[in-house]
Amino acid sequence: MTVEDQIREIVARITHVDKSIITRESTFKGMKADSLDVVQALVAVEEAFEIEIPDEEAQKFKNFGDFVSFVEKQVAQKEKV
Amino acid sequence: MSLEGKLALVTGGGRGIGKAIALKLASHGADVIVNFFRRRDAAQKTANEIEALGAKAEIIRANVGDPAKIDEMFDMIGNKFGRLDILISNAASGVGRPVMDLDIKAWEWTMNINARALLLCAQRAAKLMDGRGGKVVSISSLGSFLAWPTYAAVGVSKAALEALTRYLAIELAPQGICVNAVAASAVETEALKFYVKEGLVKDSYHVTPAGRMVIPEDVANVVAFLCSEEAFMIRGQTIIVDGGTSVGLLSLAGKEDNEHG
Ligand SMILES: NC(=O)c1ccc[n+]([C@@H]2O[C@H](COP(=O)([O-])OP(=O)(O)OC[C@H]3O[C@@H](n4cnc5c(N)ncnc54)[C@H](OP(=O)(O)O)[C@@H]3O)[C@@H](O)[C@H]2O)c1
Repeated sequence: MTVEDQIREIVARITHVDKSIITRESTFKGMKADSLDVVQALVAVEEAFEIEIPDEEAQKFKNFGDFVSFVEKQVAQKEKV
Repeated sequence: MSLEGKLALVTGGGRGIGKAIALKLASHGADVIVNFFRRRDAAQKTANEIEALGAKAEIIRANVGDPAKIDEMFDMIGNKFGRLDILISNAASGVGRPVMDLDIKAWEWTMNINARALLLCAQRAAKLMDGRGGKVVSISSLGSFLAWPTYAAVGVSKAALEALTRYLAIELAPQGICVNAVAASAVETEALKFYVKEGLVKDSYHVTPAGRMVIPEDVANVVAFLCSEEAFMIRGQTIIVDGGTSVGLLSLAGKEDNEHG
């Protein structure tokens, strides 16, 4: 499974949205996620990939695609190390 | 008062009241482990400030709402230091909603971080304190016995925290461990700015008999005292730090009437 698919599964589980409708343009707001859903999604993704997503970075995500791109970069960096 | 040679863990010690407590304990000579959740930068800054005071500092990331993460944190403390003298259960989070809108997820999130964390941290800490006579202080708020709009989940979690503080005080007394709580009214921190911005709490300078708002250092001073040997005979108490707000509530109502003509 790709990083994107894994994140999609986590977000779908937490927001109770069908994963097939989560695209790179989807937003947490559009998925009717509250602030607790957002924190839980961030923490679940951090644990799944053993990375850290600082709040200041997370605040810059405009949509699901930005979230995925950030995690992909972190994962790639981790693999390099 | 000296805490020289003592090792303290402050949950949520990276910022706000937790940071003030961490720095105060360090200023009395304690080495401090700063636990954080989302803000590594803030925790690192606090650790640097602790070291600048001449004490040792360590930062540990752990979500205290997650039992496995609490275990990992205490495993690390056990392996690295093999002891603990002071536990400050300060970390808190919460979902601000009216009672009718509180769902199970919001309830559990709040209760787990604010109340269950004290249980799990105290259970692990007590083992590391065995034979050393430790101190446990939990941080509560007036919301444990007063009601504010949208504060229900946090208020209930604080009531549980204070009750647990009393039980821990009795059950850990034979091990020489002192357990107490400190409850504050509105304290000038980021969390408070949120409540004021949302219009849920009025800027409370004018309602505090002491004439100013409570600041993090006011809470930290009392916490440090409870961690000292001078406080040995205080057990299971919740010490209120509110500049007189809670005992002055009735006179306050009169004051507001007068103010409004
Ligand atoms: N501010 C007030 O007016 C007031 C009044 C009465 C009582 N209190 C109590 O005082 C304590 C500190 O409040 P504050 O105003 O300083 O809070 P704050 O500014 O909102 O900071 C919360 C702290 O708790 C940590 N935290 C949150 N969730 C956590 C989790 N799941 N695991 C570990 N750490 C977590 C945060 O760490 P990160 O930053 O790393 O995420 C941060 O250090 C709380 O118990 C609060 O209820 C506050």
